[in-house]
Amino acid sequence: AARMAAPTREERTACWGARDEFWQCLDSHGDDASKCEKLRRVFESRCPQQWVKHFDKRRDFLKYKKKLETEGYIPPEAAGKS
Amino acid sequence: GLAGAGWLYLRREKERRRRQRRLRDLRALALGQGDFQLQDTSGTPRSRADLLGRWVLLYFGFTHCPDVCPEELEKLCRAVELLEAVPGLPPVQPLFITVDPARDDAAALGRYLRDFHPRLQGLTGTAEQVRAAAGAFRVYVSAGPPDPDGDYVVDHSVLTFLLGPDGLVRDCYGRSRTAEELAKSVRGHMESY
Repeated sequence: AARMAAPTREERTACWGARDEFWQCLDSHGDDASKCEKLRRVFESRCPQQWVKHFDKRRDFLKYKKKLETEGYIPPEAAGKS
Repeated sequence: GLAGAGWLYLRREKERRRRQRRLRDLRALALGQGDFQLQDTSGTPRSRADLLGRWVLLYFGFTHCPDVCPEELEKLCRAVELLEAVPGLPPVQPLFITVDPARDDAAALGRYLRDFHPRLQGLTGTAEQVRAAAGAFRVYVSAGPPDPDGDYVVDHSVLTFLLGPDGLVRDCYGRSRTAEELAKSVRGHMESY
């Protein structure tokens, strides 16, 4: 099978742009992905699948990090009790 | 006045001592002291000896990298540009070594690196040669599982190494350092070399 060439600079920039637009949409809709389906499709079409996975993980990480910074760390047992 | 000059002297002294401590720590790690055998983007064999006599800013990465490698390369090359603008400083050789030799052959590397700095060079090799080179710098490398297309990402340490003209690692910089900080640090090393 032919090896896929790495994305060129233009392709990288297009991918990152699509990702940023998708993320901006998520930001303005409280992370409701159902409100951003079109941008999600554009994002997936402009980026290699491996990059989509990588950026999805990154978004999750950034959200988790923000949560830690604003809410602080809640150990699992304490969160269960109320 | 005199107090200002005294304070400046103390600050420089503190910087110098911090740099000495760091150098000692890096030497103790024996970072990057092993030789390597790789090839540049024109297929010419290159070893450690080819780097002697120059300052080098070295980054390990791969061309299929989603964001980190282009960002770190931009930063590295920006630092080189900043240093080029300072009269009287020796030139810095920007260098990229792939951690993904299976896909990053000489041609692929050449295409990728063209977009950054005109003097940016790249090195690749066999899987064994690259493994040895990364190992010499204690750079962690781990290829992830391939997707149905055969595409994969390579998890790796994100570090930029500064090598002195004697070939030894004089400093290493992580993701959080800016291009300006890199340039300032390199300049400090050059001036105290």
